[in-house]
Amino acid sequence: MSHGSIIKIPFGPQHPALKEPVNFLFEVDGETVVNVKPRIGYNHRGIEKAFELRTYTRNIYLAERICGICSDAHTTCYTQAIEELLGVEAPPRARYIRVLIAELERIQSHALWLGLVAHEIGFDTLFMYVWRDRETILDIFEMISGNRIHYAMNTIGGVRRDIHATIMPKIKKGLDLMEKRVKYYLDVVQTEQTILKRATGVGILKPKDAVDLCAVGPILRASSIKNDVRADDPYAAYNEIPFNVITSDGCDILSRIIVRLKEMLEGIEIARHALDSMPEGVIRVRVPMKVPQGEVVSRVEAPRGELIHYAKSNGTTKPERYKVRSPTLGNIPALCKMLLGGYVADIPIVLAGIDPCFACMDRMAFIDTKKNRKWILTMPQLRRKYKRKCMQK
Amino acid sequence: MHAEIISLLTILVFPGIIFLFILAFFYEWVDRKFFAKLQNRYGPLHTGAHGILQPLADFLKLLSKEDITPFASDKLVFALAPIFYLALPLTTLSVVPILSQTSLIAFEGDLIFVLFTFTLIIMTVFLAGWSSTSRFSTIGSIRATLQMLGYEIPMGLVTIGPAIAAKSLSISKIVEWQSLHFWIVFLQPLGFAIFTICLLAELQLVPFDIPEAETEIVAGWRTEFSGRKLAVLRLGKNLELVLASALITSLYLGGPQQLWLIPPIITFLAKTTFAVMLLSLLRAVFARFRIDQMLTGTWKYLLPLATLQVILIQLGFGR
Repeated sequence: MSHGSIIKIPFGPQHPALKEPVNFLFEVDGETVVNVKPRIGYNHRGIEKAFELRTYTRNIYLAERICGICSDAHTTCYTQAIEELLGVEAPPRARYIRVLIAELERIQSHALWLGLVAHEIGFDTLFMYVWRDRETILDIFEMISGNRIHYAMNTIGGVRRDIHATIMPKIKKGLDLMEKRVKYYLDVVQTEQTILKRATGVGILKPKDAVDLCAVGPILRASSIKNDVRADDPYAAYNEIPFNVITSDGCDILSRIIVRLKEMLEGIEIARHALDSMPEGVIRVRVPMKVPQGEVVSRVEAPRGELIHYAKSNGTTKPERYKVRSPTLGNIPALCKMLLGGYVADIPIVLAGIDPCFACMDRMAFIDTKKNRKWILTMPQLRRKYKRKCMQK
Repeated sequence: MHAEIISLLTILVFPGIIFLFILAFFYEWVDRKFFAKLQNRYGPLHTGAHGILQPLADFLKLLSKEDITPFASDKLVFALAPIFYLALPLTTLSVVPILSQTSLIAFEGDLIFVLFTFTLIIMTVFLAGWSSTSRFSTIGSIRATLQMLGYEIPMGLVTIGPAIAAKSLSISKIVEWQSLHFWIVFLQPLGFAIFTICLLAELQLVPFDIPEAETEIVAGWRTEFSGRKLAVLRLGKNLELVLASALITSLYLGGPQQLWLIPPIITFLAKTTFAVMLLSLLRAVFARFRIDQMLTGTWKYLLPLATLQVILIQLGFGR
């Protein structure tokens, strides 16, 4: 194609490579991406307003439902914030259980991601294999909590379910199987030529750019920056468990794959350690309904990166203001940088490379720019509104 | 009169159109089932025994679906492209021996005719994508054509191999020569490998499914087709699979041979099933290439290797 002819390609909000609603406008010169404009906000659910309308106890369930894949990271972050406001601390056994669940969640989330990446580059066999092995972890979750995805383990002041000694060997057996499989996949991605061809040198994010654009989580660590909330600002029982922060210096998709796979191995080790050295004792402390006045910021290393919750309390049973910053939002500027100068065919893999979770990211209210009015609709109002529209048709 | 009815039945029923349609559905099932087994899945399961009727059920379902023609499309070409896409492999299959060592229509030079129709199929793909005027279809059809520039020349070069060995450009003669000597796959293994890789690209299978890369350009050149047109396109694709496996069988695996009491049609079916499974296996173990990587790969490696194969044959190895 001739130089200077720039084509605009819209990507999403409905696109097979993206299972979630977000829109990117790519300006393409031939096969090269020259400009990227992200547009977010397709899946606004009014979660923050909903937080302000519910009591602290009911908000645990709401926090759980911010994200389907990292549900535990959100509740850990929420309960941590409220515990700090209340001035209580979870008992030691509860903190170890939180670590165990968090690491199991990291393993299943990274496995899900590896499958998706394999699918983006057309390697469906790897996709099927990884998702089959991910079932091991989901089965462990079902054994512990009765649920595969929303485990509902955390509560303010501890955890809701104990890990009984009878199921510990079963968890360890599952972890052994997973370790074997993860080691195999680590070998596959580093030797299979077609994967190497598609992943090496693609979606480069230099360390300086990664820091400047506030990238978080595995993206940052794949650009050789050693940054992990678990190590930098330990929460739960992470200060008592030894572990390594995995980094890689490739700055490309391949190193993101390797970082995540090695984090899975590290997660298996942490989970084993947590199981072995879990202290005896109670799993939760009772807390009052009313939370004293104050504000707090809580940080958790979710599978996708640093997750930040902010809570402001006015001394009642409901928070006055609540704010969630999910890791995907932190990675959007870095993502735009990665896509610039790349090939059109590499867009899906680079996009998938940040492990996006757009639905948990969108926060906003209805705004009419012409009348300069801001309002929020409740579900019955919405239903009434659209019912009328349907009937008119 | 009697002889005319027989010849009409040969073309329409066995081993003509109806038999080939059944074969097309059967091989889609073989491909899906084997591919699923490789991926540790079940594949089609419920329609018929082990889901054997699933491809037919899919076909019938698509026939009953709404047929949408995009407003901006070139309507005539858009309607004709699926028909051509179905007719081309069907016509070409008549020069490939199925029932016995002589094909339905055999003439000196039908090998060239097969290569020619392979190119025409890609031209139909291009027209199908181009006429639908959607962004994804346009990119898909351009990619299909670009891909053709990569694999067509190596494919043409290696198919000369069997022709030189049998001293004939007729597929039936090549099959006949193999029944008297060796299967050409033992004489020219390199040519066999190159031919299989080129067929993967021709059939747009992984790692060369670039023109219909799902995660990049939806369904590529087929995006806008729906209902009856999509059903016909899918059947055409299955027939292309039959054609590809029949060509592997005829050119390299000895074609339909009488083995002791086993009739030639059975050996043909066994060999083509093997070829289909080989193609499924290959598409299960790779990731998709990028279009630029595919083109560099074919020009850098496939073409010199194909030339090397021809040189080796000229020097007397493998004939």
